[in-house]
This record gives sequence, C-alpha cells and structure tokens, in this order.
Amino acid sequence: MIGWLLVIVLLAYAVQRLWLGYPRPARACEWLAPREVHFLEAAADALFPSGGAMPISGREADLPRWVDDYLVVLPRSKRTQIRLLLLLFEQATLFFPAPGPLRKRGWRRFSALDAEQRSDVLRAWSRSSLYLRRLVFMALRAVLTMGYLGHPATLRHLRLAPYRIESPITEADVLYPRIGQHPDDNPLTPSDITAPSDGVPIDLDGPLHPDYEEHPL
Amino acid sequence: MSPPDGGEVRVFAQYERDFREQADVVVVGSGPCGAVVCHEIARAGHSVVLLEEGPPFRPDDFEIDAGRSMARTMREAGLRTTRGTIMPTMQAICLGGGSLVNSAICVRPPQFVFDDWSTRFELEQTTREQLDPHFDAVEALVGVGPTPENVQGKRNLLFKQACDALGYDSEPMPRNVVGCRGSGECFTGCRSRAKQSVDISVVPAAIRAGARVLTSVQVQRVLTEGVRATGVEGQVVEPFTGRRGHRFRVDAKVVVLAAGCMATPVLLQKSGDLANRSGQVGRNLQFHPGVAIAGIFPEPLDPQFGATQGYHSLQFLEEGFKLETLWAPAAVLAVRTPGFGYELQDRFAELDSFAVWDAIASCHHSVGTVKARRGSNLDPILTWKFHPDDLPVLVNALWVLARLFFAAGAKKIVSGVQRLPYEMHSLEEAEVLRSGRVRPSDLVFGANHAFCSTRMHGDSGKGVVDELGRCHDYDNLYLADTGIFPRCTAVNPMLTGMALARRQAHAIVDRL
Ligand SMILES: Cc1cc2nc3c(=O)[nH]c(=O)nc-3n(C[C@H](O)[C@H](O)[C@H](O)COP(=O)(O)OP(=O)(O)OC[C@H]3O[C@@H](n4cnc5c(N)ncnc54)[C@H](O)[C@@H]3O)c2cc1C
Ligand code: SF4
Repeated sequence: MIGWLLVIVLLAYAVQRLWLGYPRPARACEWLAPREVHFLEAAADALFPSGGAMPISGREADLPRWVDDYLVVLPRSKRTQIRLLLLLFEQATLFFPAPGPLRKRGWRRFSALDAEQRSDVLRAWSRSSLYLRRLVFMALRAVLTMGYLGHPATLRHLRLAPYRIESPITEADVLYPRIGQHPDDNPLTPSDITAPSDGVPIDLDGPLHPDYEEHPL
Repeated sequence: MSPPDGGEVRVFAQYERDFREQADVVVVGSGPCGAVVCHEIARAGHSVVLLEEGPPFRPDDFEIDAGRSMARTMREAGLRTTRGTIMPTMQAICLGGGSLVNSAICVRPPQFVFDDWSTRFELEQTTREQLDPHFDAVEALVGVGPTPENVQGKRNLLFKQACDALGYDSEPMPRNVVGCRGSGECFTGCRSRAKQSVDISVVPAAIRAGARVLTSVQVQRVLTEGVRATGVEGQVVEPFTGRRGHRFRVDAKVVVLAAGCMATPVLLQKSGDLANRSGQVGRNLQFHPGVAIAGIFPEPLDPQFGATQGYHSLQFLEEGFKLETLWAPAAVLAVRTPGFGYELQDRFAELDSFAVWDAIASCHHSVGTVKARRGSNLDPILTWKFHPDDLPVLVNALWVLARLFFAAGAKKIVSGVQRLPYEMHSLEEAEVLRSGRVRPSDLVFGANHAFCSTRMHGDSGKGVVDELGRCHDYDNLYLADTGIFPRCTAVNPMLTGMALARRQAHAIVDRL
C-alpha cells in the first residue's frame, strides 16, 4: 500500500515537473512544446544576457523561434536528439542542483531558477570533470550559438552579414528546376543564360542580402 | 532544355511510378569522382545513368543560415561524428556531392605520396607521372586556377605576409573557381556561380554528351549474378525529408559505385558483404584531421570579404601537415567558443578582427571503420580512434600556426586546445603548445577529408580494388571515390579522386 502511494506521489511529481506550470508561448511553434520554449528562453538569457558587448541578447534574438525552424529541417533522429538535449538540461538540476542555500531550491527546473542560479548551473556544466557532462553543455551552447550568430542583428553588428549577390543564370539553372518544382515549371530557357561571374570583388559598402538588411520599425 | 542524344536530368517531381532503366554503365553518386566517370563514359559515346540521392541545388535553393544550410546539404544535417574519438565529419547529399559545399581547393599530391602508395600497396601504375595527364584534364574540365589577388581579402593576405616573414613557401590557393568575387561563402553554396562545382560544370557537360542523370534516387543494393554485377536497385527519396517512394532498378554491363568513402562500403555490406574476400571493405578509414587557430588582430579585418580559403603553404607536407587559410559562417567558426554570458559575448564581439588558419594533417596511425547499421537506414556507423603517435604532427602544426600569427602582427591567438589558456598574447605564452602538456583529448579537431575505406591494393588479399578501381572479386564492379585511396594524399583529396576516376573511366571504356 505504502509502495503504491509512493509510486503515485512520484508519478504526480514527474508529471508536475515535466509538464505543468509552463506558460503558453506567445507564438505557436511547429515542433517545440511550451516547456521547451520556456527552457530555451531561460538558456538564451543565461548564455547571451542583455547589456553585453553584442547588440542584442539571446532573448531578443528569439532563439526558440530559430531552434523551432531548425528542427523543422532536421532529420527525425537529429530532431529527437536535440529535443532530448533540451529536456535533459531543463531537468538535470534534479541530479546537479544549482549551488546555494536550501531556500533557493536549486533543484527546481532550470527555467525556474533565478539568473544567478542559472549562471552557476552553466558554470558547473562547463567546468565539470565529467567529459560527457561538458559535452552536453557544449552541444547546447553550439545549437544556441548557431542561432545567435546567425541572427541578422548580430551579423550586421560584426560586419559579417552576407551581401546582396545577383546570381548569373547558367546552363545548370536551365537544366534543373528549383527543389520541389517540376521541370515544366522552370521558367528559364537557354536564352535566359547570362554572362558568368565577372570576378568583380563584392563591395563592402554595398547592399546586404535582403534577409539581413536592417528594416526600420 | 532538351539536351541532345538522349541526355536528360530527372528530379523528384517527375517520378510517378516504379521504373526500370538500362545502360552500358550505371554510376552511383554524383560527387566529383562519380561525375567525372559519368562524363568520360558519355563522351566516349556509351549509355550511362548517373544516380544521385540528393537534389540539384540552384542559388535560390541555398540557405544562408549555416544551421539550416547544413541540414539541407549535408548528411545527418552536418552533425555526423565518429565514435571512439569523437570528431565531426561532413559529407554532402546533393547533386555534385562535396563539390557543392567545399572550398574548391584543387591540389596535386607531391611525388612522395605516390612513391609511398606504389611501394607500400603494390601499385606500379599509380605514379604522379602516369596520373599527370589525368590531372591536367580534370583541372581543365573544372577551371582550376590560382585565387586572384583582388579577391583575397585581408585575412588571406596576412597569411602570405606571415609566410614571407618566416621564409615559408606559400601560394594563392589553386581552386576550381572562375570569376570569384570573394564572398567567402563557399560552404553554403556559391551564389555567384563562380565555383565550378561538378553539378554546374561536369554534370551538364555529361548531359550534353548524352548522360541520363537521375536525382533524388537512393541506391540500396547492388544486384549480382555469380561474380558479375548486373545493376542496382533502390527507391526514390523526397529531398530533405528522406521519405521513400517508388522503387527503381537499373540494369547495366558495368556498375560503378562512387557514393563517397562513407557510403560505398555500406552499399557493399548491405548487398550481402559484396567484394569483401579481402576483409578490407569498411576498414582502414583515414582522415586529414584539421586543427585551427584564430588570430585576433588590432584592427578589423572585414573577414566577410575574401575567398573562403585563398592561400596555402606546402612547406610542411613532408612533416605531415598542410597550412591553409580558412573561413566559414560565423555560426560555424565560433560554435566551440568557450564560456557563456558576458564573457562569451566579449569573445564574439571580436569576430570582425578574426583570421582563422588551419592545418590538415596526415595521421597515418589513426584509423577507423565504416559499418552498415541494421535495418534500412544507410547512415554509416563510423568508428575512429586518434592514435597518440599522431599527436606530434598536430602539436607541431599548432606551433607553426602560432608563429605565423604573431609574425603577421596578431595581438593574441585562440588555440582552442582544452586545458590551456583560452588566449595567448605572445609567442612566449604560446610555447605552452609545444611544452608536452597537450594531450590527444585536449585537441579540438574536425575532418572533412576522408578516404581508404575500400582501399586499392595490388594484392587482392589486402585491398578491395585494383589500380583501376575494379573490385578484385567482381569483374565488372568498380569503385570510384576517395574510399579507394590506399593512404591519405597529404593534400586536399578532391582533385586526386577526380584524376583517378578519369583514368578508371577510360579503362571501363576500353573494355565496353
Ligand atoms: C565542407 C567541406 C569542405 C571541403 N573542402 C575541400 C576542398 O576545398 N578541396 C578538396 O579537395 N576537398 C574538400 N573536401 C572534401 C571533398 O569534398 C571530398 O573529398 C569529395 O567531395 C569526395 O568526392 P567523392 O566523389 O568521393 O564523394 P562525395 O563528394 O561524397 O559524393 C558522393 C555522392 O554520392 C551520393 N550518394 C551516397 N550514397 C548514395 C546512395 N545510396 N544512392 C545514391 N547516391 C548516393 C551522395 O549524396 C554524394 O552526392 C571538403 C569536404 C567538405 C564536406
Ligand atoms: S569565395 Fe564566394 S565567390 Fe568565391 S568561390 Fe567561394 S562562394 Fe564563390
């Protein structure tokens, strides 16, 4: 009887810890569950806080959105691995609680910790003597770094944003339709083929790729 | 566009039912090697079908965002790693194979590589002299030339200055590029169409000569009767999702597998452990592990401008490494930057004053295996172990890179070596790199040059194919990718693969 009670209590705790209490995200996601969005926001805050040397913070870079878009294009196995990574990090405070006094309840979910505790947790992961634990941290940071450094505002700030480039039309563009199209829907014909690249260096003050231009609000 | 003489290209949207084709030769894989075989066979007037699992990409299909780009153009979304020693390695899935995403570096291996190959592996005809005509021809086919000065950009030219200062040889990188604009984005696809990746150079030429090119088709099995291959079979796959659909079969007099060093062994294993009397299929896997150092200069370098890899030095080839300049999207270059929070942001903020130079190393002692998984998944299980005897080469390479950076005026360098200080501000501080403190597990490396998994050997008991790429056990089954290299090339492998493929295609034509 006591055993069963214990199982029920544990199950209830697991359900509460895994699913309950997460706010509904502002925007619907294709793959990410609310708990994953919430975790990613917390991790983005801790990894790339506001007020640093970069023009935007991780939260402003809307990393959950980037991760969601990324998951869409990943093969299933990699998508599962990344979602497991998020789950692991969010819940790992159970086994590796944030240091500090008991009243700060360092074993709460990562996203429920305060900013200082989150930093402490990241520091512990990044400096762990366990290779695998460091590896998990590096994997999480790698995913979020890809999104952060892919953001137009960070790239513009670093003068690393891609430039606008008009692609010449080659024989290949006439032969191959765009991915997903039928060749009959390829509007290009041999008469559309243009002169090849002239080798003129790109203009460092020239216009940026449209997706990376600064759009006035 | 309707190419003459029956040449054609088919894409995913065109497959409406199961189908069967026939040809003199079927080539599996449209990377640099497979494309060359296909081109030479078509030019000789024989019917040839080229099968490629990935789709053809046009500039409007390229993704600039590094993560999404890798997810679309690379196998396992670019997140493939070896087991044993964990090392990232990338292979492409697209028409043109690795040539679509690579830096277009085209270098002939030096004489000593071929001397080593021919003596160690009983390959008398595989000399530099015998291969030079093939090198000449493939270089002409894909427009190999030195990278022009006006598109080098500061981060490449600083490398030249540093080599001059230290008395090392260096030269503008020879690449299969015509009209480079220095956009530094070879990795996500050349929007200027300057890079002559084989999808826009060799494959269209093959189609003009009559080749049939079928994209989005995954070969799953080689068909055989006795000691002869009779064709291949597989399924149509949807781009990016990999969802499988209609079945197909191609019957041919000669079957050529050029699916790449990681995929060809899997195909052989999945076809009933084919051509493996020697026991060498999937063994001997080698890489050129690369280590890199970032130098931070006192002034911005505008690193976004400049040929992706514009300069190199062959000075240390005999000592086991080749020096190069390197660029990639910031999101890829900085992905392993240590730290978090403000410290991490401070490090990112210096990216505009960054130059990255790397060394690729010949690590002969470190070998691995390629194994097929159970079930229908064709992604390989890669195992590779870095051997401590290869450590001195990489440590020496790191030290030389550090010397170059300080000779070029870098204010500090970031070696990425774990357990060492993140930044080193002088050559004296960098001495730690060669102090004996660096352990194999401290190194951060990656490798996109892979070979030897179906190596050639004059002795049929020690290798999978002979000098002309023909399987020792199967009279009309050829392998034509970098897997057939007996050992690493010391230089970037693509051109060697193409030259060997051309020679092999001529041997096939001779017997058709
Ligand atoms: C990012 C990057 C940069 C590089 N830079 C350089 C460089 O600058 N210079 C250089 O020399 N080398 C470079 N390399 C390495 C070089 O690209 C490869 O060595 C070269 O592409 C190998 O050619 P391949 O024909 O053997 O195989 P691949 O290029 O791998 O081509 C094999 C093809 O077969 C297809 N295929 C696989 N399995 C199947 C199947 N079952 N059915 C149908 N099709 C299949 C694949 O989709 C692929 O298109 C780089 C590699 C990468 C990833
Ligand atoms: S540097 Fe830019 S223009 Fe030059 S080949 Fe690479 S992608 Fe094309």
